[in-house]
Amino acid sequence: MEVLKEKVEEEEAAEREEAAERAERVEKTRPAEVQKEEATLTQEMLRDLGKQLLEIQMPTPAEPPIVTKDTVDISNLPLSYKTNTLKEEHLLQVANNFSRQYSHLCPDRVPLFLQPLNECEVPKFVSTTIRPTLMPYPDLYNWDGCANFVSNFLTRVPLPDPLKPPSHLYSSTTVLKHQKGNCFDFSTLLCSMLLGAGYDAYCVNGYGSQALCNMDLTREVCPLTVTPKETVKKKEKAQPKKYTIKPPRDLTSRFEQEQEIKKQKEAKAQEEKRWWEEEEEHLLEAERAKPDPLHGLRVHCWVLVLLGKREVPESFFIDPFTGRSYSIQDDHFLGIESLWNHRNYWINMQDCRNCCKDLVFDLGDSVRWEYMLLGTDKPHLSLTEEEDEGMNDDNDTEDLDKENQDKSFDMPSSWVEQIDISPEGLCQCVFSAFSRTIPGLQEAFETHCLNGKKVLHYRRAQLEKWAPYLNSNGLVCRLTTYEDLECTKILEIKEWYQNREDMLELKHINNSTSLHTDYFRPGHPRALHVHSYKSMEPENDRVMEFYETARVDGLIKWEETPRTMTQYYQGRPDFLSYRHINFGPRFKKLTLTSTESNPRPILKITERFSRNPAKPADEDVAERVFLISEERIQLRYHCRDDYITASKREFLQRSEVDSKGNKIIMTSDVCISFEVEPMEHTKKLLYQYETMMHLKNEEKLSKHQAWESELEVLEILKLREEEEEAHILNISIYDTKRNEKSKEYREAMERVMHEEHLRQVEAQLDYLAPFLAQLPPGEKLTRVQAVHLKDACLGDFKQRLIDKANLIQARFEKENQELQKKQQWYQENQVTLTPEDEDLYLSYCSQAMFRIRILEQRLNRHKELAPLKYLALEEKLYKDPRLAEFLKVFA
Amino acid sequence: MLSSGKMNRIYDSVEPRVMDDDILKLAVGEQGPQEEAGQLAKQEDILFKDVLSLQLDFQNILRIDNLWQFENLQKLQLDNNIIERIEGLENLTQLVWLDLSFNNIKVIEGLDTLVNLEDLSLFNNRISKIDSLDALVKLQVLSLGNNQIDNMLNIIYLRQFKCLRTLSLSGNPITQTEAYKMFIYAHLPDLVYLDFRRIDDHMKELAEMKYQYSIDELKHQEHLRQAQLEEEQAWRVKLEEYKMAFVEHLNGSFLFDSMYAEDVEGSKLSCLPIVSKLLEVYKDKFVIICLNIFDYGLKQQEKRKLELNTFNECVQEAIQENQEQGKLRIARFEEMHLLNLSAIREESELLIIEKKIVECSEDISALFNVLMTLEMQLVEQLEEAINMFERNITDMVDMFIENVQSLMAQCRDLENHHHEKLLEISISTLEKIIKGELDEELPDDVRALFADKDTIVNAVGASHDIHLLKIDNREDELVTRINSWCTHLVDKIHKDEVMRNRKRVKEISQYIDHMQSELDNLECGDMD
Repeated sequence: MEVLKEKVEEEEAAEREEAAERAERVEKTRPAEVQKEEATLTQEMLRDLGKQLLEIQMPTPAEPPIVTKDTVDISNLPLSYKTNTLKEEHLLQVANNFSRQYSHLCPDRVPLFLQPLNECEVPKFVSTTIRPTLMPYPDLYNWDGCANFVSNFLTRVPLPDPLKPPSHLYSSTTVLKHQKGNCFDFSTLLCSMLLGAGYDAYCVNGYGSQALCNMDLTREVCPLTVTPKETVKKKEKAQPKKYTIKPPRDLTSRFEQEQEIKKQKEAKAQEEKRWWEEEEEHLLEAERAKPDPLHGLRVHCWVLVLLGKREVPESFFIDPFTGRSYSIQDDHFLGIESLWNHRNYWINMQDCRNCCKDLVFDLGDSVRWEYMLLGTDKPHLSLTEEEDEGMNDDNDTEDLDKENQDKSFDMPSSWVEQIDISPEGLCQCVFSAFSRTIPGLQEAFETHCLNGKKVLHYRRAQLEKWAPYLNSNGLVCRLTTYEDLECTKILEIKEWYQNREDMLELKHINNSTSLHTDYFRPGHPRALHVHSYKSMEPENDRVMEFYETARVDGLIKWEETPRTMTQYYQGRPDFLSYRHINFGPRFKKLTLTSTESNPRPILKITERFSRNPAKPADEDVAERVFLISEERIQLRYHCRDDYITASKREFLQRSEVDSKGNKIIMTSDVCISFEVEPMEHTKKLLYQYETMMHLKNEEKLSKHQAWESELEVLEILKLREEEEEAHILNISIYDTKRNEKSKEYREAMERVMHEEHLRQVEAQLDYLAPFLAQLPPGEKLTRVQAVHLKDACLGDFKQRLIDKANLIQARFEKENQELQKKQQWYQENQVTLTPEDEDLYLSYCSQAMFRIRILEQRLNRHKELAPLKYLALEEKLYKDPRLAEFLKVFA
Repeated sequence: MLSSGKMNRIYDSVEPRVMDDDILKLAVGEQGPQEEAGQLAKQEDILFKDVLSLQLDFQNILRIDNLWQFENLQKLQLDNNIIERIEGLENLTQLVWLDLSFNNIKVIEGLDTLVNLEDLSLFNNRISKIDSLDALVKLQVLSLGNNQIDNMLNIIYLRQFKCLRTLSLSGNPITQTEAYKMFIYAHLPDLVYLDFRRIDDHMKELAEMKYQYSIDELKHQEHLRQAQLEEEQAWRVKLEEYKMAFVEHLNGSFLFDSMYAEDVEGSKLSCLPIVSKLLEVYKDKFVIICLNIFDYGLKQQEKRKLELNTFNECVQEAIQENQEQGKLRIARFEEMHLLNLSAIREESELLIIEKKIVECSEDISALFNVLMTLEMQLVEQLEEAINMFERNITDMVDMFIENVQSLMAQCRDLENHHHEKLLEISISTLEKIIKGELDEELPDDVRALFADKDTIVNAVGASHDIHLLKIDNREDELVTRINSWCTHLVDKIHKDEVMRNRKRVKEISQYIDHMQSELDNLECGDMD
């Protein structure tokens, strides 16, 4: 085993060396950094490098399941996959010629990727492998939808040799079937879809960074962690109206203000700079840690979308692995060898020293892009440059041009079959952005696709995706964010759920504050929307938000801290909008035996009300505070429309006793009030007394409501715990595969149908039945009986046929006779007949003739068919299981 | 009716009582709050205007009186008395429930101000006609049993009460009629209870079928009346709008017609065929100018409205913003002040208390200064805006007047031109008459004008003068009215602003006073 491993390692090392050597040849297409290094490279250093490389663990999966020939069932593939048409042959010749010319003229460049073998080992030109297809789903009409689909639907398989284009390029249909492929397969499929959707898309064969080729996102910021930029729409400042008042004169020094602003700006800039520097350092460190020795050599294939069609404002790249778009200036794309679409093939003749940043994507410019077939529809963009530059490069390109004498030669149509995506596959890949499954059965998915799980590593983040229904608790996606680059300290965890019966959608756990936040979809039994908490114990910090329309009491938010409780309401008939309760410490109960609830004493209740338009502002309470411990009640009323002060009232609830020991009901200092507009009736003790009595009642009610609210929260907590334990998943009634009920129903229906069918078969007439009935029941047939039975049956049938023939004959004759009679009568009375009678006679004749003709036809047909029918019955009787064994001898 | 007579005879023997203060006070006291609240009420006396409900049954009252103080009364029971007329209820506009059953009322009257009345009981009286209830648009329950109503037409009168749900008419002569119930079902389709019984839907349908023709006709008439009313209303609104633009009656030949309305000579002269032709042309031209004025006036009105709206909006915005600021300041102050007060209450050291109280009063005066500064600032800002608006609106009005005057001058030119022509024609006609060349027959009174040159010239001149006078009058009217409108508007704006300012200042000082006195009370309390 050890020996074998060594051998493998040696081979690998050799491979790397070879690659490095090859790197020398590739000059034009390699970025600058590699070239610099290469200048000083010697053979020894290369060997060292090889050893070093051995120590570096390649982050490729252990043994990638490559779609090898034996897994592709080629027997079912159509003929176009297995052979080439004449035109294709011709094209391949042209391509061969082109390739030879190219390698002759540019000996230092790698051979072209022109005609890889397909799954049937037949060479196919790359352009014909692209099959532009418009998918019948609206989600796949735009490029981002397509890219997402491809990246989610297919599983990446690394190239057999990361430094060489693959030898095989399978059709998109095969790739879709197996759901795996390398970057070329990804790009071909994506390009086909984009071209079908009307984009000006191209497959690009070039060189990518290590991260790109290995789909290594560890240095990328996870798109899910990036908070979407808040599009702060600047409110268009209303045009100052004609009579808008002028602001008061500003008497502060403008100079001082400016200085202050300047200072602040500087401080901010410095801070930002420091932050950036730190960040940069981090990045550099991380990058320096593992420089890529094969930088600029890794072959990658991606998709280029040019501007113009489908209102694309700017050209961009799409990496098919991630489905993300990149600017054509992006650092990840290190060089382009060639690109192609379904119409033509272009070789890049530009320098890629500076990655793709200097490339001009004007495919009509034959100096920059050497095309293979003439007569493309690519317009020449830069007409002015053509002439002066065309002269210089003439000797390079002219010869190539000459070879393409056949100017009208156009690309044969694709050999690939119609690309088809089942709606289920789409549904699971596009709509649930986090899930990826195979269209069709769950089992297939589980067996083929890494157990239905996909893990993506991002910079400081890890994203795990599961297929829906795979986890019994409905977990479909988990994003773990880390504090450090090494991904050891967890910062926060976000878990997305689907199809849960408790409508839990997202669980957010902040590790540093240990704050849990659960988000629910509409439909929770308690109308819960958001629940954030640190612990499930009651009387702790907790916030619950509700879907207010689903609640009768209009509660929208409920907050709790160990000593307070706050409720926010909306749309209540009593206009209550806010209630805040302060609790005191719980009294220690001496009798610990009782398990009854020991409510905390309420110290203060603050209630706020929104304006009730039906009441005048002076009588509409805006805020009332029950200071229970101080036995005081404070009322603040709403402000009148054009006032700035509001009425206030304060009640002292202490019951006083006068000198004689009688209870004083009410004195004027029980109520202190400030009124914006003093009114007469409010001065009265009676009014104050009644108000106070009313308030006392209200206080009791509020206390009760607070207590009820506390109880409800306890209930919700209990419910949540139960739900967490049960985690039942919902299954849509439309999901026929998973929905047990509908499955049962369907099966039952099928069973019923089947039974029905059986019954029908049974119900077919038994032609032997009347004859069998004549025999004594329960006895076995004897041979004589059987023969007799057969004869009787046949005889009967014969008689029936004869009877039928006779009947038709009789009718025919009768009709004929009648006609003759009528004719006779007519001839006799012809002279005396009125025109009406004559008409009647004529119509009768034509009808009678028609009947006679039909009868004649029927008779003939019967005569023809009768013997056949007789024979058929005879045969049937011979085969009848009840008679067969007796009649065999006679047959 | 026999029964009512019997009932009332019992009280006839007793001396009728007068509704005086004592009765009322007694009743209010008895029916007012009880127990603790009652003691308080006794201490303080209940004001009649605070009473919501009053019961005065079986008191042998003959005349309703002395109820004018019960402004807020909602429920009044005067049943089982010997009242003969409904009177003295004019001030009880909040009344919802009125019971006058078992009295001797003959005519429904005196209910015109009780627009909020929902429940009216006139059971067991001597009423023979349902009438004078038009003001009671909210009426829901009407009890008229045991009366002397004998005409079915009374039912049709009740159709106008859209809210009426319960009606009782039992014991009236009309109930003897065979079709009584069906008639009511059909004619009062919204009614739910008749004579304390729920109306059967099926019966209602039957009744509707029975009386379909007459009801359709009634509906048609009602509809016509409604349409006519609406039309009138629309016309009135339109006219009001034109009046606001000061160009009413200028969208047609009204002015022209009015010119000839008082002009005897002119209309006589128009009998001449040439003149009538001339007149037609003149009228057309004149009307076109009138229409010009009219259109221009409407446009200007629109502009003025817009200007005024913009101004009002801006002023409102400014005031609103200022109020918000004021509220914010006060809220901030109150928050702090409350903390300070509670701190003072808990403090025991006298020196510190005093220091804190001084601080508090300083805070209060600071608040006062801030609020007043805000207000003064607003006053200045508004003054500027108002002055600007005043300038603009005056300019607009001036321009409008100028343009109208120039258009009116065109009218006058037309009139002058017409006058010349007319004079010419008249003289030539006169000449013709003198020469005896006139072909047409002229009426005598017209011919009388052509007696001699002076007469005809005078006549034409008089007609001309009348026309000019009319035009001048119209112009003057327009100018005076728009000017007075403008002055009124500006005055009102100024006055409103002054009022607003005073109110705000009063409010602020009141608030500050209250805060200060609260603080002082606290001080006193602590000194004790």
